[in-house]
Amino acid sequence: MGLTDKVNFPQPAKFILNWGRKYSLWVMNFGLACCAIELIAASTSRHDFIRLGVIPVAHGPRQADMLVVAGTLTDKMAPALKRVYEQIPEPKYVISFGSCSNCGGPFWDSYSVTKGVDQIVPVDVYVPGCPPRPEALLEGILLLQERIGKESLKEHYARREVAEPEPAFTSTVPIVVGGGSITDTSIRDE
Amino acid sequence: MTPDEIASHLTEATGAIERSEVAHGEVSVWVPNDKWVEVATHLRDCGRCHFDFPTFLTAVDMEDQGFEIVLHMYSVRRQHHVNVKTQVARDAARLPTLSGVWNGMNWCERETWELFGVDFIGHPNLVKLLLPVEFEGFPLRKDFLLMTREAKEWPGMKEPAEVEH
Repeated sequence: MGLTDKVNFPQPAKFILNWGRKYSLWVMNFGLACCAIELIAASTSRHDFIRLGVIPVAHGPRQADMLVVAGTLTDKMAPALKRVYEQIPEPKYVISFGSCSNCGGPFWDSYSVTKGVDQIVPVDVYVPGCPPRPEALLEGILLLQERIGKESLKEHYARREVAEPEPAFTSTVPIVVGGGSITDTSIRDE
Repeated sequence: MTPDEIASHLTEATGAIERSEVAHGEVSVWVPNDKWVEVATHLRDCGRCHFDFPTFLTAVDMEDQGFEIVLHMYSVRRQHHVNVKTQVARDAARLPTLSGVWNGMNWCERETWELFGVDFIGHPNLVKLLLPVEFEGFPLRKDFLLMTREAKEWPGMKEPAEVEH
């Protein structure tokens, strides 16, 4: 990781570095259900998240900056998600897209569905909806970019090292599209 | 054959039909456990039946009355359906396998075995198909405890079973 995890850059250098990072987000699409279709719709010409600097479909997790979990994660699939997440190089970000990946959604009391991907990987932005419209993902991306623009990479890495051994965690205070907090049950259970 | 003709044909030819019922344009016949394979073999081999496409096999949890094993079949040539059913006891849920009659029953029986805990005697490869190998219990049995429900009340206004459609 070189200098970025040791030194707090002066503000102009930080601005330039983060400006470059936030407009080049290669996305790893972890599409599991119908939400993945909305994610694909967001990448195509009508909604077009490429204009925000999000580049669809990295060639693999090792080339990606951002993971979008879109759909119903089952307990059997969970180890694969963890593995994909661990393959993404730092700094990495996770968007949990849709009710299923936020909290299990309509499969809340199923025997096979994981109730929230935040039990497996740290989540930066939650996008509620069943499924959310592509605009909701655009909003989530804008909020994530705002966070990337402000953050200090040194603090980012320091927080990751502390947070990593925890079994269930979120990377930092998570963002919920449309306001509210993730402890607010009305959003989790939507 | 029409549903009624299938029912009377099977009653005459196999002599193993306990009762039959026509619903939604399809006939259901109930057979005893020990005639399960025999009736299935007849359905495959008889020229009038010619059931060449076993659509699926599953179980229904009848609680006190055990499990009802349901086999849905279709004949592509004759274009008719039949549903064959048999009841097994809850504490002795076992049945001879049909995977020797139709190879396609192999996976259906594995699925029924892992989800309902019905044992298929003579099955060549009775291992988990859909569930993770470490999964314990039979999730589609009505007495299976859902851990989320144990931890928290149902957050909706009504239970799914109470909603009128």
